Amino acid sequence: MSTATFRYAPPPGRFDEVVGTDGVTRDVWRGVARALGSLEPAVLMDRLRQADRLLDAEGTGHLVHDLTLADSRHGPPAAAPGRAISHPWRLDPIPYVLDAVEFDWLAACAVQRMKALEAVLADCYGPRRLLAEGVLRPTDLFAQPTFRPAAGGPGAVTRWLTSYAVDLTRDDAGVWHVVHDAAGAPSGLGYALLNRTVLTRLLPDGLRAAGASPIQQHADALRHALASVAPAGRPSPRTVLLSAGPTSDTYVEHSYLASRLGVHLVEGADVVMRAGRLWLRAIDGLEPIDVVHRRVDDAHLDPLEPGHLGGGVGVPGLVWGARAGGVALANAYGTSLADSTAIAACLADAAPLLLGEALRLGVLPPGAHLATSPVFDRADATVRPRPVVVRLQVVRHGDTFTVMRGGAARVMADGDHPTHPTAQIAKDVWVIGGAASRVARVTVAPPQVDYGSSVPKRVADSMYWLGRAAERAEVATRTLRVVSQQVEQDPTLVVVGDGGWGVGARALLRAAQGVPLSGVDGAPVAEWLPVELVATAASAGAQLAALVQEAASVREYLSTTTGRVLGRLARAQAQMADANPSPEDLDGVLADLAALAGLAMESTVRGPSWRFLDLGRRLERALAVLGATEAALGPAVAQLALQPLAEATLGAHECLVAYRRRYRSDVDLGAVTELLLHDDANPRSLAFQLDRLREHAAGLGWPDGSRLVEEAAVAALSHVEDTVVAGRRIGVDALVLAVRAPLLALADAVVQRWFADPVNPTVVRGQ
Amino acid sequence: MTRFRVVHRTEYAYGRSMADGFTSVHLAPRGTPAQVVHSVALRIEPQPDEMEHVTDQFGNAVTLLAVHRPHTALLLESVIEVDVSVPPTPVADTPWEAVVAAAAGASGALACDLGPYLAHTDQTPFVGGVSGLPSLTAPEFTPGRGVVEATRALCSRIFSEFRFEPGFTDVTTPLAAVLAERRGVCQDFAHVTVAALRSVGLPARYVSGYIETAPPPGEPKLVGVDASHAWCAVWAGEAGWLDLDPTNDQMPPLRHITVGWGRDYHDVTPVRGVVIGSGGGQTLSVAVDVAAIG
Repeated sequence: MSTATFRYAPPPGRFDEVVGTDGVTRDVWRGVARALGSLEPAVLMDRLRQADRLLDAEGTGHLVHDLTLADSRHGPPAAAPGRAISHPWRLDPIPYVLDAVEFDWLAACAVQRMKALEAVLADCYGPRRLLAEGVLRPTDLFAQPTFRPAAGGPGAVTRWLTSYAVDLTRDDAGVWHVVHDAAGAPSGLGYALLNRTVLTRLLPDGLRAAGASPIQQHADALRHALASVAPAGRPSPRTVLLSAGPTSDTYVEHSYLASRLGVHLVEGADVVMRAGRLWLRAIDGLEPIDVVHRRVDDAHLDPLEPGHLGGGVGVPGLVWGARAGGVALANAYGTSLADSTAIAACLADAAPLLLGEALRLGVLPPGAHLATSPVFDRADATVRPRPVVVRLQVVRHGDTFTVMRGGAARVMADGDHPTHPTAQIAKDVWVIGGAASRVARVTVAPPQVDYGSSVPKRVADSMYWLGRAAERAEVATRTLRVVSQQVEQDPTLVVVGDGGWGVGARALLRAAQGVPLSGVDGAPVAEWLPVELVATAASAGAQLAALVQEAASVREYLSTTTGRVLGRLARAQAQMADANPSPEDLDGVLADLAALAGLAMESTVRGPSWRFLDLGRRLERALAVLGATEAALGPAVAQLALQPLAEATLGAHECLVAYRRRYRSDVDLGAVTELLLHDDANPRSLAFQLDRLREHAAGLGWPDGSRLVEEAAVAALSHVEDTVVAGRRIGVDALVLAVRAPLLALADAVVQRWFADPVNPTVVRGQ
Repeated sequence: MTRFRVVHRTEYAYGRSMADGFTSVHLAPRGTPAQVVHSVALRIEPQPDEMEHVTDQFGNAVTLLAVHRPHTALLLESVIEVDVSVPPTPVADTPWEAVVAAAAGASGALACDLGPYLAHTDQTPFVGGVSGLPSLTAPEFTPGRGVVEATRALCSRIFSEFRFEPGFTDVTTPLAAVLAERRGVCQDFAHVTVAALRSVGLPARYVSGYIETAPPPGEPKLVGVDASHAWCAVWAGEAGWLDLDPTNDQMPPLRHITVGWGRDYHDVTPVRGVVIGSGGGQTLSVAVDVAAIG
């Protein structure tokens, strides 16, 4: 084609977004092409890779969707059977471009359609003129599973659709058509904002130079629209975003959008209906909620409703509460009906009847050929013509409609139906020219949620387990690294293996795996060593998986940088499953875990969510130090073996360098236990962990917790006497037992006091 | 006219303490041309913290209730008294094709009244094949036959071809399995009949209620159920809605107390409950007592 920097040859005789039928680049594209700069394959490939990395950092690639969410703690995930785990999408480096005149026309069409669907919903759940006048066949309404018999009711719903999205595409003659209406729980806004954020980072000047309209304030429009549907008499309404959780295939967008809106992301078990209102189960008790921006479809919303799917998933009584006016649902219960093709098919006849207007835009006829757009193909670095589907987002606030000036388009793979593009490639949609923004400049209210002080119980729960998993992963990885290095440097340990090193080292590995020490006997080192090393690697991998999974459900409480580290750890988890991770692999994991710990200290607001994260980490570290001490220093071994064992223990807990600097001597048991257990200036010591636990219990105002920490601290003061009975240093064993008991009680008490709320509701068996 | 008293006790024992419980109840009877509601009472233990009465899309009375304090059991005791008369035998019997045409061409209020009951639903789908719905309807819905006569014959056919067998099906058994096995309980008989009538284009309702099982002296004992009963109703054009009980081959039903109706069982489930709490071994006991008291 003719653009100097852009090698692209769309098929002739078929409408293309860039090249006109006369073979000349369209006007709107000329300016954009200049602004994009070089579109050479190498440049595009480079941008593509950058986009991948930026999306990964947001967790789109790995946090959720590539992991099988097998959960050891909560049982199997509550996903509907057969639900596809979606794959990460990729962002095409070439935007989809619309000029303002065309966009404004499409926006008007989308607004008209949203109005028409609002009227259709009100009619289907109300007077049913469409049935009475024969516009809608009864079977097209009452046979739909999306028709909800309990929806509506006199005066129950004042606004059916607060947000709406419509998929549009052009046929090969250039004529626009509707592909699909998304009315129940329309998705895509979060993805669009995320895509734009990424493209802005890639082309900071390009967007401005091209004159693309900004889209970020659409989230503000949504936030204000949501507030406007709150029940009467709630002056500063509180909104939450209701998600089905990390098993939902659009969870990344829920998480991103919630933090962009400044609202809590909640799952069904985080909230409860009482006294006609909806309440958030927060750490400090129940907090009232006024508006639910629900991203859960009608059939999974309320297990009390007829036709509910998915057992106990959802919020029992939510529909009842919404009908009675105690809480507002946006969009209203029953709106998924408007997603159906039967409703779309009748809309052309319904609009004149209910709105007094003819629809401007029709539904795509079956078998239509579609227009093409340039899409960069990463496989062979060429630009190919492909059909795309554009999704427009509309928000309604009173009688004001705001259409996002841009959005996301999805690329179709060969053989795709336009309703289900499968290429997993998104294009950022740019609207060029016209009014910079149609959004009335609204005063941006501060986020209604202070993530520092108000935390759902589930979040605190996940943060706590995230902290524990991170620490356990670290201990397992570091112990593995230290012991294998020791064997590498001194092979005689394996061959000779005597003086008791084998017993201690094996116990140390087992303690790092969190498995019982029983059965550790004097078997030859060469026999058990490979087995225990593999088991320790597997255990580290399992802890990394748990860590990544807990992080996935609290994504909006973690920084973007944290997301990047988590993405790397998710990939590392696979390496740990290999039989023999290399020392470099292990060092990489340790560096990432250190980065995670550093981010937790330096980039996290010190509120309850951080406190539970750190509480979990400190508790686990204290238990790990005790476990290692018991394993490696408990057995009475010859001085010859004590040296490498003590070094391994110190090394596994990052104390070896400190030890050498301080003592500059051969290993002495008293000095080792002093540093590991009693030295409150050593951030790896038991004493240091107990100090932090004491602060956390006090910070939570939790006397029972403080008492248990004190009990552990008193027990930890005792001096370790080197008396040997039956091959064990009984002083070591006594201290470990005396400190461990109150710490294990503390671990139970944390769960009981702070998290032990009922999880998902249970549907009572029918008769 | 007979006055019936129905006592319907539903008792859940959850095994463990539940923090919150939500229940949706379809137990209050509705009035019909053949039924006058005399009294309705619902006793609930523990006393609910929230209770509301609403009307669903099909005109049934629904009671929603919630308990928000720890409880290990829930008792619902519905005591109703209704006067039931046997509806008059329809005078005219329109050819069934004419009724189908009238239903399909209905407009205005009639279209809204019939609409919900024309469509196949998840529980009353169209099922083809040798054991499917046409095997029941084709022999009876012959050209020009009166709708009442054909429906009555369909009712008898289902009664004789299907075996009443508790325990074979539950609320999740698909209709195709019921048709293939030719057995089930009253809900299945009702779903089969409703689906069959809809398959020829006749509007048909699923009706939920009770039946008096104690036989009057000298008459055979009706096949009943311990809990609630279910049957159906067909729209017969000018004759309006006519009830029929395929489980007992009765058209019109004689000793039936109507609670409500919908498209299928889901729309009028007598008691739906959801509890929040760590799961225990829940048990459910239901006892229904129907007595003619005058």
